[in-house]
Parts: sequence; structure tokens; C-alpha cells
Amino acid sequence: MKSVVIGIHLNREDVEPVAESMKVSDVFASVVGVADDRPLGDRDLLLEIAAIRGRLLDKATFIAVRYGFTVRDENELAIKCSGLTARWRELLVAHRDEVEMTLKAAAAAPPARPDRHDFPSGAAYLRALHDATQTIHVDPEFRVGIERTLVPIATQHRWIHRDTHSVELAMLVGRRNLDAIRDAGEKLRRDFANAPFLLSGPWPLEVFANDHHE
Amino acid sequence: MPEQTEEITLLETLDHLLDRGVVIAGEATISIGDVDLLYLGLNIVLANIDAVIRTSQK
Repeated sequence: MKSVVIGIHLNREDVEPVAESMKVSDVFASVVGVADDRPLGDRDLLLEIAAIRGRLLDKATFIAVRYGFTVRDENELAIKCSGLTARWRELLVAHRDEVEMTLKAAAAAPPARPDRHDFPSGAAYLRALHDATQTIHVDPEFRVGIERTLVPIATQHRWIHRDTHSVELAMLVGRRNLDAIRDAGEKLRRDFANAPFLLSGPWPLEVFANDHHE
Repeated sequence: MPEQTEEITLLETLDHLLDRGVVIAGEATISIGDVDLLYLGLNIVLANIDAVIRTSQK
């Protein structure tokens, strides 16, 4: 039996009974046991983990661990998380009452996707794909609208280029301000009826938990 | 419309599960059915190409 690690939490009661908990230094990991012969790509497993993630966030804010990280036991977890837990605890204490919200806005003029045949190597092609994401922008007027409507409600925000079709705004938002963010999203939809965007969340600490890596 | 909204929500949820959050050094085998597709002894699992590049730059 392996354990898929879902997130890192401040307290054991933030995890149980929604998931099993494993102590790692002075924080706790939420884990779900998975049979060794069950692949991590199993669709039902993905959906199950996604649902558990949502229920855990209802209990308390946690740091999301990217899907796919598994351990056998607490010893292995301690070894693999060595040197990380102090920073995690600091983040969990600082952002205890905050969650992330994401606004994904369609690109104003998506560039053509690079063609593999135009590149001498796979590495060059991958680089070109990445570079293409960095040229994406949203309509300037819409961006100003976003920054006037949503950003003031967030405690931190960051624009992120993930693909060639959209730009993402990640926001750290106080739990008490979730309704305000959703209302602001509705206002944005009314003010910019022709600008496609998706406001989603709340999410656990994902983008802002990675600050120390960037 | 509600069906479409549910679909978007599911896609968005899976996108966050697979492409966000802290990455801890580890390894995993990603399989469909009984066939292993990828073995990654790196810092990333089941990510799209952009995510792979972003991670490699960190």
C-alpha cells in the first residue's frame, strides 16, 4: 500500500477524519492509501483525491502538494520533506485565514502554436512552446477592469502565463472576502460581457506556497 | 448550461490537482490500465509541457 500525499496542514484535526494524517516534523500531511497495483492515473482515483482536497479545504487552509507524490510511511515522508517543513509551517500560520482564487482570462490574440517540424530538436520545440506562452496578453481595457475590480480585494496577486490561450490571475484572498470576490466577478462579467473569463476557487495554497522556490 | 458549468468545474479542479501546488522530490509511475506511460524520477508528475518547462527553470 502506498499513500498519495494531498497536502500539508497545520494541525492533525485539519486533516482527520476526511483523510489520514502523517506527522512530519511540526506539520501534518494528509494522505490517502492506494493499493500498489492501482495506477496513479486511474480516473476514479483522481476524482476521489480532488473531492477529498475540496473537503479538506472546507476544514482549514492547507498547502497543496502536486498530485503524484507518494510515500510508504512517515519515515519516507520525513526524509523527502527534510528542510521544507519550517517554511511550510510559517506559510500555514501566515495564511491560515486565506485561500487562493483564480481568474483565467482568454488571450486577446492567441499566437499560432509552434510547429514541431520547424525546430531542429525536441528541446528547441519545448522552449518555443514555453516562449509562446509568455507573449500572451489580455485586452488592456479588460485587464484594467480586472485590476480595479478584483485585485483590491486580494491580499496578494500574481499574473501567470501558463498556456497560449489564456492568462491567469492568481489571488490570495481572505476567507471572509470570498463573497466580495464572487460579487466582483459578476460585476466584471456585466461590465465586460464580451470578454471570456473563468473565476474559480477557493483553492488551497498552490501558487503562493511556491514563493520560496521562485 | 448547468452541465457545461459542471464540466468546467471538473476540468478546472483536475487542472489544479495536476498542475499546481508544491512539488516534492519524488517519483511516480503514471499508468493507464496496466500500461505504464511515464516514469518520472524527477520533481514533477503528470504535468503538461508548459509545466515541465516551468519546473525545469526553477
